[in-house]
Amino acid sequence: MAGDSFRGWELAVEVPLATRTLTLAIDTRCRTVAIVGPSGAGKSTLLRVLAGVEKRASGSLTMDGGVWLDSVAGTVVPPWDRHVGWVPQEAQLFPHLTVRENLQYAGAPDADVEQTAELVDAASLLDRRPRRLSGGERQRVALARALLASPSILLLDEPFSALDRPRRVQLATDVRRWSEENDVPLVLVSHDEQDTEILADEHWHLNDGIFSRTATGPPHDSSAGPG
Amino acid sequence: MFSTPDSACAEDTRQQAWLRRVAHVWSAMPRFALVFALLVSGVTPVPGSGQADEILVLAASSLADVLPPIGNDWEEATGVRVRFSFDATSRLAPQAANGAPADVFLSADETWIQWLDERQIIDQEQARRVAANGLAVVVPQGRRVPLDAEALVGIGRVAIGGEHVPAGRYAREALKASGVWGSVEGRTVVGGSARGVLEWVARGEVDAGVVYLTDALLEPGVTTAFIFNPTSHPAIEYWAASLRRSENPTAAAAFVEHLSSPDVSGVFSAAGFSSGAMDAEAGPAGESLQPGASPAGPSITSAIRLSFLVASLATVVGLLPAIGLGWLLARYDFRAKPIVSALVLAPLVIPPVVTGFLLLTVLGSQSALGRLLSAVGLPVPFTILGATLAAFIVGMPLYVLAVRGAFEAVDPLYEELSWTLGVPPRQTFRRISLPLALPGIAAGAVLAFARSLGEFGATVVLAGNVEGSTRTIPLAVYTLLESPSGRDAIWVLVGASVLISLTALTGYEALSRRQRGRRLEIDHGG
Repeated sequence: MAGDSFRGWELAVEVPLATRTLTLAIDTRCRTVAIVGPSGAGKSTLLRVLAGVEKRASGSLTMDGGVWLDSVAGTVVPPWDRHVGWVPQEAQLFPHLTVRENLQYAGAPDADVEQTAELVDAASLLDRRPRRLSGGERQRVALARALLASPSILLLDEPFSALDRPRRVQLATDVRRWSEENDVPLVLVSHDEQDTEILADEHWHLNDGIFSRTATGPPHDSSAGPG
Repeated sequence: MFSTPDSACAEDTRQQAWLRRVAHVWSAMPRFALVFALLVSGVTPVPGSGQADEILVLAASSLADVLPPIGNDWEEATGVRVRFSFDATSRLAPQAANGAPADVFLSADETWIQWLDERQIIDQEQARRVAANGLAVVVPQGRRVPLDAEALVGIGRVAIGGEHVPAGRYAREALKASGVWGSVEGRTVVGGSARGVLEWVARGEVDAGVVYLTDALLEPGVTTAFIFNPTSHPAIEYWAASLRRSENPTAAAAFVEHLSSPDVSGVFSAAGFSSGAMDAEAGPAGESLQPGASPAGPSITSAIRLSFLVASLATVVGLLPAIGLGWLLARYDFRAKPIVSALVLAPLVIPPVVTGFLLLTVLGSQSALGRLLSAVGLPVPFTILGATLAAFIVGMPLYVLAVRGAFEAVDPLYEELSWTLGVPPRQTFRRISLPLALPGIAAGAVLAFARSLGEFGATVVLAGNVEGSTRTIPLAVYTLLESPSGRDAIWVLVGASVLISLTALTGYEALSRRQRGRRLEIDHGG
């Protein structure tokens, strides 16, 4: 496992939602973190906060030693300066662009585009429109687009939910390898135990904003605990 | 939906794709585009007057049939082009006072000449009496004909002009002098102008009407019952005067002189006018006159061209404000949002005439802003600029509503995704929000265009009814309604108007469906 240089991330924010205020607090040194928990617990909101698109979030977020959010000091790093590879659950591809244009969106050179398309087994889809892709194909392309954004961290929200089992395992393994080779940490939200086993060393259970380390994850850094 | 070829250069591909998308949207209306191109080509914005070889004449609508041939002859003789704007004198006089770029004023009575003199618009000393008219009672063809004023007591509804319209004032005076006003008053129907009254009679909507003798003679659908004794009402005299602000005073004065010359009095008397004030009873009998064909009446092609030009300008000028406001209202929450929203929508519910009046107040020659615009060569009232502005303001609510809806249909998640891919909001707007909302924006443009084509109320107040500058299709129809010889032309314009509107709405529907299709595509993408 490469990259002992990663200094982890520390989050303590409040997000006022329509029905309640969600409090999220987590502090981890682990490079690969899986978040599990029931629907509506705030898992996707957590990724939105990390990506910087959740405007209502207030509090503090430190990522790998850099301050991304500090409401007291008035510091906010906007999403376009965070370089996160975010794959949200829905509406993943820009519908007016071809697959190739989607992959080129962040400005990656053509060679990288082709190579990453190979990685997610989407090389034959490059000239298609998103609406002509299956759900699984869309997910693979969305993942490739996130990888091509030169991310400092990957934020994956149920990224393989539409894939069949063998392909799912294969892709999870490939992403894990990519993350290690490129020294990019990741945060995964998934209901699937196999996904989380393959991709993440540390498993957190989120219930109504409260995080707790779960027993299922292999012990990685026992000093980290719920914030 | 759109196909984009591969390209080595990402940026080029995107731009090409964008352009192709725009082209695609437009090509959705090929016939529309063709007609548009044909009609707009060759149209040049004509400012009011100010050209050395042209004068603009504001004239009472009862002169609408007799003046154009006189103008044509004079034009041929002198080389100075004459354009007319016909309306009730009571509507024209305020236009002249508000800075209409006219050169000559032709009033249906002396009172308005005096009114304009008091406002320093004309010099009453220089005014010339050019013709006189009689007052007649007409009935629909085939109805019972009252032989004198007393017989009106036994007749149903009687149409007369409004009390500020000269024809209406004369009618009241004549009915009072004949001693039947008390009986008739309760059964009167008040029309906007002398020609409007005539129209009602011709259609049989009323049982009798009091109109100018000349109008009575021109309308084949009515029977002239009797002519009031000229002593029963004030002299019906047409007065011509040149405007002080005329930029072509020599030609204006010459035209006024020409109108009062013996050469022209023959033309007037042939149309049923008399040259003196006191001999109105000498009007010729009905049979001696053919309903006048009006060679230089409102030009159909000019009206259609002008409508397209004004509506296109309003649509193009409105594009950026509509996109800006639509985006603002779709994506941002701010304290003043309800106020901004209300202001944008206001022209939808405020009567267009009121909108026109407010615009005239703010931009007319009485206001500092209006004087400033005038000084820099952009006078608003009674110019094509005014017509465009009126169309723009009145079309704005529909424009903004459609654009706002288009942006609201774009899932904000796409914009957020674009940000996380390192593309800041401004470029994200250009690369994501705008292309995704494009069909809806185009639909809004089509809707605003259609609304602009139909704009009447604000235009007639702010820009008047000037042939070639502000007389769009609705104003031309309105003008023709007051001219007995305008039947055929009206149907051409009515047909054009309905056709254009339906075409535009079909285009709107197709584009809206496309935008909804985008939405489904997006929902399906999860």
